[in-house]
Amino acid sequence: MKRKSTILFGIAVVGLAAIAVFTQKQVSEAPVDGLSFMGEPVTTDEIARGQEVYAANCASCHGASLGGQPDWKRRLDTGRMPAPPHDESGHTWHHADRDLFTITKLGVGGVVPGYESDMPAYEGVLTDEEIRAVLVFIKSTWPDRERAFQANVTANDQGGS
Amino acid sequence: MPGPTYPTLRRRSFLLYSGTAVGVLALPKVLNAAEPVKPAMVTLAFDGDALLAAGSDLLRSDDGGSSWTALPVPAVVPALATHPERPGRIIAGLASGGVALSEDGGRTWEGRSRGLTEGKVDAVAMAAGQPDMIYASVQGDGLWKSEDVGQNWSLAMDRPWLADAERDLLALTSVDLATGMGGIWIYAGTPAGLTRVPDCFCRWQDVQPGDAMDALVSGDAPPSEAPLPAGDPIHALASAPSAPETLYAALPSGIWTSRDGGVVWSHLVYGYASAVAVHPVDPNHIVAALDGGLKQSRDGGATWSALAVI
Repeated sequence: MKRKSTILFGIAVVGLAAIAVFTQKQVSEAPVDGLSFMGEPVTTDEIARGQEVYAANCASCHGASLGGQPDWKRRLDTGRMPAPPHDESGHTWHHADRDLFTITKLGVGGVVPGYESDMPAYEGVLTDEEIRAVLVFIKSTWPDRERAFQANVTANDQGGS
Repeated sequence: MPGPTYPTLRRRSFLLYSGTAVGVLALPKVLNAAEPVKPAMVTLAFDGDALLAAGSDLLRSDDGGSSWTALPVPAVVPALATHPERPGRIIAGLASGGVALSEDGGRTWEGRSRGLTEGKVDAVAMAAGQPDMIYASVQGDGLWKSEDVGQNWSLAMDRPWLADAERDLLALTSVDLATGMGGIWIYAGTPAGLTRVPDCFCRWQDVQPGDAMDALVSGDAPPSEAPLPAGDPIHALASAPSAPETLYAALPSGIWTSRDGGVVWSHLVYGYASAVAVHPVDPNHIVAALDGGLKQSRDGGATWSALAVI
């Protein structure tokens, strides 16, 4: 009797664990409410992946907390501008998804021909999926007002949703 | 013993030498005349139908330039801004630093400089559609903005980098054309040419045709452009509030205009232009400070008449 109870209890634990994993998977792959990228849904998994990519590739200049370089509105001695913040204090949320993707992949010169910037083009460094993930992560940090503004800019852009 | 001999100065030679001497003596004046005439007026603006003109004094005319009244500004005014939605509101950039605000057409003024860095204010502008949003360029510093008619100021953007150097902003105008970034443009004149920045202040950039990026991506021939003379200083800029794609610029070579937001420019009138303003309702009604005097055109610059001698 005692042995049977132990087995039943074990099966129940394994079952519950499986349900928890399944539920967790469902949640991480579920679309995040109120957030999209170029018209496509975004998942919590993608946001988490983007956060890792951001930490490894972007945070050194744009700040671990997305706060940008100090005094970012003042030009460097080189004539170039410092890395701006990506949080609501910056201007990233004024740009459409398509432009953010192009700037990250091709550099600022991809949207403003001839513009000189310290930011490298990430084509060949990050995959398109990684670029998308990091931008999704940045977007996920914005307050509602900035997120809504940027969604409107994206909707009005021909490459947006 | 014969005395010394002297060459005989014949009448023809005398006239020739005299003429040469007079010509040489007159040369400095001729050279001076070739230099630009010192501009009497450095900034102009319409306040409704009234005209404001500032040089050493700030003057106002309510009768089309027939008579002028001096306004009691606190300092020399190198820059003026008005807004079609706020008749009577005048923002004056001051040579001594800071800005002053009048809400009664210039009869009374108050300083509005809290938080604004020190330094001569070269240019001011009010945002199209947002008369409480004011921009000011501070010499040697950058572009500042106030969202509450000058009660509080914050740095918007450092100066633009043109031709390997930072350049002061000599002229500003808010141009009500969409940037694609949820806002509109601010155009600026510098000692080294024209530039512009979106009102999210992401970066200074050249004026590009609207479909320039599409052409770049597709490899098609770029759209036609006819920029202002490369590297020339731009003393003043004006965007017609009723037709924002219509721009006017004052350069040492004269008054120029663009009808497409600054991509293609044409030369309207020759002369040393120090200021230009466009009527708030009629985009073809312009006034310019040209060769030290004031001239007016009511047909977009095709014909001009002297406005007044102030």
